[in-house]
Amino acid sequence: MVKQRNSLIRLELTNIYGINIFRYTKDKKAKNRYTMLGFVWLLLLCMLFFYVGGLSYGLIRLNMADIIPAYLIMIASLLLFAFGIFKAGSMIFSAKNYDSLSSLPISQGSIVVSRFIRMYVEDLVLALVVMFPGIAVYGFFIKPGFTAYLLSLLVIIVVPLLPLVASTIIGAVITGISARMRHKTMTQTILTLGFILILLVGSFSMEQFEGGISEEMLKNLAAMVKELIGNSYPPAVWLGDAIIGNGMLGLLLYLVVSGSVFSGMLFFITKYFHGICSRLFETSAKHNYKMQTLKGKSVLGTLYTRELKRYFASSIYVTNTIIGPIMGTLLSAAILVVGIEKVQNSIQIPFAVKDFLPFVLAGVFTIMTTTCTSISMEGKQFWIIKSLPVSTKAILDSKILMNLSLIAPFFLVSEILLIIATKPTLLDLLWLILIPTALILFACVIGISVNLVFCNLNWEKEEYVVKQSASSMLGGFAGMLLSILVALPFVFLPVDFIQYGRAIICLLVFSVTALLYYFNNRKQLQDYN
Amino acid sequence: MLQIEHLTKHYKGSKKGVTDLSLYVAPGDLYAFIGHNGAGKTTTLKAVAGIHDFEAGEIKVHGISMKENPIACKKSFAYIPDNPDLYEYLTGIQYLNFIADIFEVSAQIRQEKIQTYADAFEITASLGDLISSYSHGMKQKLAIISALIHEPKLLILDEPFVGLDPKAAVTLKTMMKEICEKGGAVFFSTHVLEVAEKLCNKVAIIKEGSLVVSGDMKEVVKNGESLESIFMEVAVNGQTKE
Repeated sequence: MVKQRNSLIRLELTNIYGINIFRYTKDKKAKNRYTMLGFVWLLLLCMLFFYVGGLSYGLIRLNMADIIPAYLIMIASLLLFAFGIFKAGSMIFSAKNYDSLSSLPISQGSIVVSRFIRMYVEDLVLALVVMFPGIAVYGFFIKPGFTAYLLSLLVIIVVPLLPLVASTIIGAVITGISARMRHKTMTQTILTLGFILILLVGSFSMEQFEGGISEEMLKNLAAMVKELIGNSYPPAVWLGDAIIGNGMLGLLLYLVVSGSVFSGMLFFITKYFHGICSRLFETSAKHNYKMQTLKGKSVLGTLYTRELKRYFASSIYVTNTIIGPIMGTLLSAAILVVGIEKVQNSIQIPFAVKDFLPFVLAGVFTIMTTTCTSISMEGKQFWIIKSLPVSTKAILDSKILMNLSLIAPFFLVSEILLIIATKPTLLDLLWLILIPTALILFACVIGISVNLVFCNLNWEKEEYVVKQSASSMLGGFAGMLLSILVALPFVFLPVDFIQYGRAIICLLVFSVTALLYYFNNRKQLQDYN
Repeated sequence: MLQIEHLTKHYKGSKKGVTDLSLYVAPGDLYAFIGHNGAGKTTTLKAVAGIHDFEAGEIKVHGISMKENPIACKKSFAYIPDNPDLYEYLTGIQYLNFIADIFEVSAQIRQEKIQTYADAFEITASLGDLISSYSHGMKQKLAIISALIHEPKLLILDEPFVGLDPKAAVTLKTMMKEICEKGGAVFFSTHVLEVAEKLCNKVAIIKEGSLVVSGDMKEVVKNGESLESIFMEVAVNGQTKE
């Protein structure tokens, strides 16, 4: 049985990050696509390297070197947990190969273990990427002994365990509940979103220091941050202490806790694996349809309806792309509840928060547009659209419309909340509506442009497109980046020129959007296979 | 009806594809397209259906160029692939309605057509179910119905009989014949040589991306030979049929 399990693990790891396809594909386009994706990842890794390295350096300059390991462990664990919630359920209970594997003489446990190991390896890479630059900077400036490096390596290896367990339990519970429901995808989406919202609201309230930071507190900042980390995620302090030489008890405690929780979870998932999978993948057919009166729609209308149905059929697609609009609405509600003056006072910046609200709103609303992966999401069914008599424009318009209609209700509520909260003048009201509208339109259209460049129709699981593709990385944040970029000049612009500046920004964004839209529609979808 | 002239399509980094392929499907033709796995049948059919672009040559449907006016071209035919990956998140009736909308079929006509074809293929009761619950054969039937809704003059089918139950296969053959009798045409690939021989008036054999035989079935299969023996001669043993 061990041999079979090892073979299964090898199989799971063979195509991790698409390595096997890249190695063996003879399709130059696919090879180029993977190379480009590799560069995008490399770029993101470099950014993360500099960010984490810079953070560590900053902490050293503030005489807070001792909290670096705990801080890094905290960041890595949070990232692993956040990513894990989205993917754990669908990775462990994946329908892919389930039938063929179930018919082979392999135990359920082997299937579960192999899938866990794949998730662990992916998490380990992320943990390494987050922690290595920080530890390197720490090592370069602090020069700890050899044991610290050895322990750092051990910590990196074990850091993914608890986040993996926690996210899998949540993923398994969500998947398990959904499996019992008739509307599995909808239940899964609502539960995942609900959980993320609880986390978001929880983290907002956790970050606040009651009554602001006093001078006395600044002197003792390192201890305060450590306490904050310890309160939020105690294992980060246990492991961090082991690296800085404060004793191995924490590390041992972590190993015992994570090891036993991991084994317990493995036991339960293995026990209920078949049952959950059976319920999850079973399809109900009533077989009682009687012809009813059918109604026709316009070509664009029918394409749009299809996009809507496609969108809501995928839990991971919905949860990944609806977070921005939800966060935007929550932000607007928070501003209304707290009051714009209080927000201004607490942030303590030399310019009016009110003036930047349109850009902030746009930045949040444009995180992860649906358009940036909507072409890739067609997958193996792309032949249908390609063989039908519809123009590229109609197809892409339906995808943009779908994204806009998803954002629209949230945007409307946000606008109303902000209007009540800020009581803008007529001109400010115009910009509060026009600037986010221009940037949201831009984000939807550039999402299509990016997806046309990084189109991947041959994916195994939806999460590879929605969460791990170059398209989602670049297209998903393009709107937010532009929102920040166009907001920057207003920090320096004299008050007299602000209205002109806003008009020029709107005009520029609308023009670039129109140009992108024109070029997108000229593409031949036959070129995408 | 369908004119393929010097079609050349190769996949980058691969030797597979089609080279300088020309054939003509006339109104009334039931045209079988046969060849080994990987010979280039699906590539040809996908290029004709406008799914693949191609490097050289010309494809015309009713005289309209696929390269110059793909939308007008696609309005006049229907294509069914060998493995019908349909939108699993739609119900059968939603899918058929979607296709009817795209081809701008009136509500009354689509209803009549769907009723007729769904009854003929015995899947009316399943039309309200999600496509994800369908078997391979049911998906194939749904794909066939969707192809027939807008009464295409030309049907392009890739392995249409795979997965169909015997009754559905007979129904499909009858429908193919009816289309041809009404002046339409059917161009389809198959590995079932007996079906091709009995059903079709024309045949083309493709080998390693090139057409090795094409013409009237009666002229290709003569002197008491079978299509199978001809196929073995030209496609396996490499002899060229004059």
